[in-house]
Amino acid sequence: MSLRRSSALVGALALALVVTGCGSSKDGSDAAGKGKTRVFAADNGKITIPADPKRVVATGYAVPAMIEADASLVGISSWKRGEPLMSKKDLATYKKLPKVAGELAKETNYEAIAEAEPDLIVIGVPAPVLGDIDVQRLESIAPVVAIGPTVPSAWRKLTRKQSDAAGSLKKFDAVQKRYEAKAAKLAKKYEGVLPELKLGHVGAYGEVAKGTFQREFGNSWGTNIAEDLGAKYYGKVKKPGPGSHAVSEYPSIEELPASLRAADAITYSVQADGSVPKAVKYVMDSKLWKNLPAVKAGKTYPLRYTEAATYGQAMKTLDAIDKSFAPLLKR
Amino acid sequence: MTGAGRASKAPAPGGRVREVTSSGRATPRVALLVGGLVLLVAVAVVSIGIGARSVPPAEVVRALFDFQGTDDHVIVRDVRAPRALLAVAVGAALALAGALIQTLARNPLAEPGILGVTAGAGFAITLGSALGLTGGQVGELGFSIVGSVLAALLVAAVGRRSPLRLVLTGVALTAVLSGVAMGLRLMLPDVFDSYRFWSVGSLAAREQAPLALPLAAIGVCLIGALLLSRALNVLALGESVANTLGASVGRVRIAALALITVLSGAATAVAGPILFVGLIVPHLVRRPAGGSVPWLILYTMVVGPILLLVADIGSRVLLPTGEVPVAVVTAFLGGPMLIWAVRRHGAGAL
Repeated sequence: MSLRRSSALVGALALALVVTGCGSSKDGSDAAGKGKTRVFAADNGKITIPADPKRVVATGYAVPAMIEADASLVGISSWKRGEPLMSKKDLATYKKLPKVAGELAKETNYEAIAEAEPDLIVIGVPAPVLGDIDVQRLESIAPVVAIGPTVPSAWRKLTRKQSDAAGSLKKFDAVQKRYEAKAAKLAKKYEGVLPELKLGHVGAYGEVAKGTFQREFGNSWGTNIAEDLGAKYYGKVKKPGPGSHAVSEYPSIEELPASLRAADAITYSVQADGSVPKAVKYVMDSKLWKNLPAVKAGKTYPLRYTEAATYGQAMKTLDAIDKSFAPLLKR
Repeated sequence: MTGAGRASKAPAPGGRVREVTSSGRATPRVALLVGGLVLLVAVAVVSIGIGARSVPPAEVVRALFDFQGTDDHVIVRDVRAPRALLAVAVGAALALAGALIQTLARNPLAEPGILGVTAGAGFAITLGSALGLTGGQVGELGFSIVGSVLAALLVAAVGRRSPLRLVLTGVALTAVLSGVAMGLRLMLPDVFDSYRFWSVGSLAAREQAPLALPLAAIGVCLIGALLLSRALNVLALGESVANTLGASVGRVRIAALALITVLSGAATAVAGPILFVGLIVPHLVRRPAGGSVPWLILYTMVVGPILLLVADIGSRVLLPTGEVPVAVVTAFLGGPMLIWAVRRHGAGAL
């Protein structure tokens, strides 16, 4: 090897060392930033997470909440069911973000999550579904906090907790404030009629093939936002179960009269485009439905966006409820 | 109408032909048939009286004969009675289709699904759902009928020349259609979600579906089967004997295939796949029928509905948590019943 070539090689080596050294220095400063942590209470225990996470992966119900709270997302799961409820801006963000998991917990792509290099992973799936996810494998990538839904109306607390974990409470609080102001205004608008009515609700998740319908009570998907306006849903589940089964049940169509005969008015879930879902249509086409006093009196009200699970989405629901309940004020 | 009460030639084990006269074995057969009909009426009445809501027996009777439009009357007339009628029609259709296919294929393990009917209906519903065309019960019913009839026609066209070819074609088409449909369902979770409710046969919640056409088709086929029963009796002696006796083997086979197609297609369309009824009922009645196809057909028309009505009552009362699909109950009952029938009576002559 000539002296000239040797000098060039030494020079290249030195340059490489300098570059590597710079990289290490940068990593070191990040590490210092990452050093600030806090202990966070989640469904999967007390987890040490970054105080100010910069690269967050969110799945399940955490997806719309995190997008709405402007969290620093680097990957999300697919969440098609929430698309009709998202604002244009949130929908654009949702579409742009890399999808690191499918609609189901089982469809989690661990390699894609690792490639996203998150410093926090927020899993928003119900506790029983958590078993479908290899949490240990995710923990080898970044701290994992599981904050899943319980009773439908608990979305208020859950989304706050999810936003808190991602360090995005400021935006969250602002949206919550707007929702509460709007709900209070509508509650005042309907204070003369709504609290006087005994309401019943028919949900969209009955199983037509089994001849059942979904009867929702207070704090359920179809009722909890209307309750913020002062609506009173009577009755309770005969045999309460976990999660949504604590506030809704699936009786046979034969039990429709016993379940809803006492209702002064009946609300029912419809899809985002206003169409009546199969399970609700099955009920409404029944002669037993047509025999109900509330139906005979014409006091049935379709409710859109009943799946809302964030304050931003729930504002759409408030508008839909207002539109649907408007005839009550004319009576 | 049939050869049921009159003299008929019936194949006996070993291929011998024996005379069955109205003065001989027909009398106990008639008594058995009348007893079966009485039992059928009794089970149907029980079926109408039982449900999620308790309706007093007097109200059940009043709902049928003095309808006042109360909730109890609506439940009996508009929910339970159509369901019982559906059980009778589907039970008769599946059992009769089973008896016909076993006679035609000369195979005691043949059942209506062997013609690809169930797979055809399932494939059509999956495809329709994937294309967004099966919006409700009407859509599902339409796709199911078209799918089952097309599949059966294809199997019948390819396998019409011999029973073995028919069975093999049916099995092959079932495998292909089931595989493609499963692939679609795995790729499209929403399609899987809507299919899973159809895939377990049930008689619940069919009261709003347009059942008049499928039920009328079943009714016509029941009459057709009775008219064809004597010709089938001759065919049961074997193809060469039937030819010697001057029977039109080809026409009888095509007519029987058409009946099986419509019977099983209509039953699957309205209730979804219900296995075992078509398989076990012919075995249960083969011995009392004594090798006579007309009697076999008559008995299946009575025992099929009884079995399905009993299974449907069971589906409503077995679990305290709610209803189970009737296909689960028939599968639960069907296995042990088939083993019992075969152990007690053997597979029976075909």
